[in-house]
Amino acid sequence: MNDDRLAASGRPIRSGPSLGRHGVCRRHHLLLFVFPPLASCSGAQSALDPAGPEAAGVATLFYTMLIGGIVIWCGVVGLLFYAARKRRAHSTKSAGQLVLWGGAVFPTVVLAALLTYAVWLMPVMRPWFQDDASGMRRIEVTGEQFWWRVRYLGEDSGPVFETANEVRIPVGERVVFLLKSPDVIHSFWIPVLGGKMDMIPGRENRLTLVAEKPGTYRGVCAEFCGPSHALMAFTVHAMEPRAYEAWLSARKNSSGADAEGLALFLRHGCAACHAISGTEARGTIGPDLTAFGERGSVGAGSLANTAEHIARFIRYPDGVKPEVRMPHFSMLPDADVERIAAYLKGLR
Amino acid sequence: MTIPRKYLIALVVVLPLLGMVFAWSGLMSVRASTGHWGVTDWFLHWVMKNSVRTAALFVEVPPLDDPALLPPAAGHFETGCAICHGSPAQGRSDAVLAMLPRPPDLKMVVPTWTDAQLFEIVKHGVRFTGMPGWPTGLRDDEIWAMVAFLRKLPEMDANAYLQVSGLHGIGHAGEVSPLPITCESCHAEKRLTEGSIVPRLAGQSEAYLLNSLKAYAEEKRPSGIMQVAAGTLPEESLPELASYYAKQAPPARQIGQGDPQLVERGRELAERGRPADKVPACLSCHEKAGGNPAYPRISGQTAPYLERQLRLFHTGARGGGPFSHLMTEAARSLKEEDFAALAAFFASRESRGP
Repeated sequence: MNDDRLAASGRPIRSGPSLGRHGVCRRHHLLLFVFPPLASCSGAQSALDPAGPEAAGVATLFYTMLIGGIVIWCGVVGLLFYAARKRRAHSTKSAGQLVLWGGAVFPTVVLAALLTYAVWLMPVMRPWFQDDASGMRRIEVTGEQFWWRVRYLGEDSGPVFETANEVRIPVGERVVFLLKSPDVIHSFWIPVLGGKMDMIPGRENRLTLVAEKPGTYRGVCAEFCGPSHALMAFTVHAMEPRAYEAWLSARKNSSGADAEGLALFLRHGCAACHAISGTEARGTIGPDLTAFGERGSVGAGSLANTAEHIARFIRYPDGVKPEVRMPHFSMLPDADVERIAAYLKGLR
Repeated sequence: MTIPRKYLIALVVVLPLLGMVFAWSGLMSVRASTGHWGVTDWFLHWVMKNSVRTAALFVEVPPLDDPALLPPAAGHFETGCAICHGSPAQGRSDAVLAMLPRPPDLKMVVPTWTDAQLFEIVKHGVRFTGMPGWPTGLRDDEIWAMVAFLRKLPEMDANAYLQVSGLHGIGHAGEVSPLPITCESCHAEKRLTEGSIVPRLAGQSEAYLLNSLKAYAEEKRPSGIMQVAAGTLPEESLPELASYYAKQAPPARQIGQGDPQLVERGRELAERGRPADKVPACLSCHEKAGGNPAYPRISGQTAPYLERQLRLFHTGARGGGPFSHLMTEAARSLKEEDFAALAAFFASRESRGP
């Protein structure tokens, strides 16, 4: 499903592959031919379509285990046929040999090999324990019910700017994610780039990730955090370094030109919770809305980003995301809601 | 000795049937003119007193010595209670005295009840007597004000009663209507002090006043006192009332000097909010240049009124017009120490736009 059709259908985006590329697991298309269900493993939210070394480690481990499992399963089925068709009984000695080698030695060797392989893979899959993160680009991500606060930190650890439900990283550079939560346990997971990491109230977890291919990926909350847990996603843009730098500097001076839309936004008190840089809206309770028009979705992956969907979210946030903290604004005049929605859609 | 089974059946089946036949025959008199038998009267009162006593066992009594509790309760007494119970200013008609049971003279009975028992009676009323419960179950604070007033009632003479209920204002210039009790009886500037729990209406935004009046009339803003006051007004008079008060100049008055530390804490919260607790800045909606006039002007209201409203919002009992749920959400995460600080800050501030 592409973005346009999604906008037309207006349904919440629930499954990963709906928001993104049409790529397939190219390296494994032979497997896809044999196992059609794997076709769903491609796309923006698939750990089996990796764009970073950690996710590649996970994918390798998965395929190794899958192929090994298939071979063993075939052997076991073969044994079953052999046992079913054999007329004469084995001697006690050869039966004992079979149990010893097939039932004890073989599993021990296979499991030991698998364990060794997995332990050997671990540093690839979990490089966050590199303590020396100084000099690395740091992005602070806070999981809140039910959205993501994203702060790009400067040299002195102070936030340079804040945004929400969207992470941008340069390709080929390892980035440190500082993961926090003010309410309940969330879990930060970008399957295409690596494993997940819990966000625990009262502490700061660190995860380092690197994207090796440019593209748009999807991250999700991987720990049940409340009624709208499934509607808590974010977009990851892995950008070529030059494009990334261009975005960074543009982001610092972003704006929207619709003065009347902004006036309505302020008039109804939206700025109590939301900030838009370059305006007097400085609320930090809800998601920062700077450059909102460029975001991939409304409501942290709930709806495609169109003016109609923004208006719908303003009127009935709870109808889109159950138990969201934003109160409904269905009492505002339609013209006001539509104007605010158009203003937000126009923010670059 | 054992009772034969057929007599038992007769007892269980026939006796109730006989009772139904008696009730159907109409021989049971329901005439109030004849009164109760002495024994019935005693029994009914005995049951009622026991019931109130038991129900009041676990009622916690708040402090009731604040004189600001009296005026709104007295005004409501005049509109809702005096017709049956009489008041120090006016006796009762013979029609009321012929009710069965006769509404008691409060001078005599109030001293026989404890505060908790009075609360129980005022809140829930008494079945089979005509005594109604409070119009809403969500405003215990109003009921306690009424209890405070009832305590004072036995020692009040006509003059004191007229003073406290605001009835003495009849016929003065600026009255909304010639009714003995008007909006002005409670809300007139001259009736308000720094400790009042009654809001100032003069200079309030018209949109907010109208939304509030409608919310009271439609029972979306629970208040026994204001539901009774606004619910009986003709709907078309509500915009007139809102505009009448909105056009009045905000009163020139001495700004209350709150505890400076408290005021400063309130200012901090009002200007910046507390994002960590999801408390937005009050001033991002209220009294903002170019802001929505449905958001009321809160500066210059009395601290006790503001604190009361904040607490009602905090517990979700406040209700109000179509925008009130925004405030319920904003007040949800306030902490105990915030209420007084915010109230002190806004009470000490000049009222301003929009």
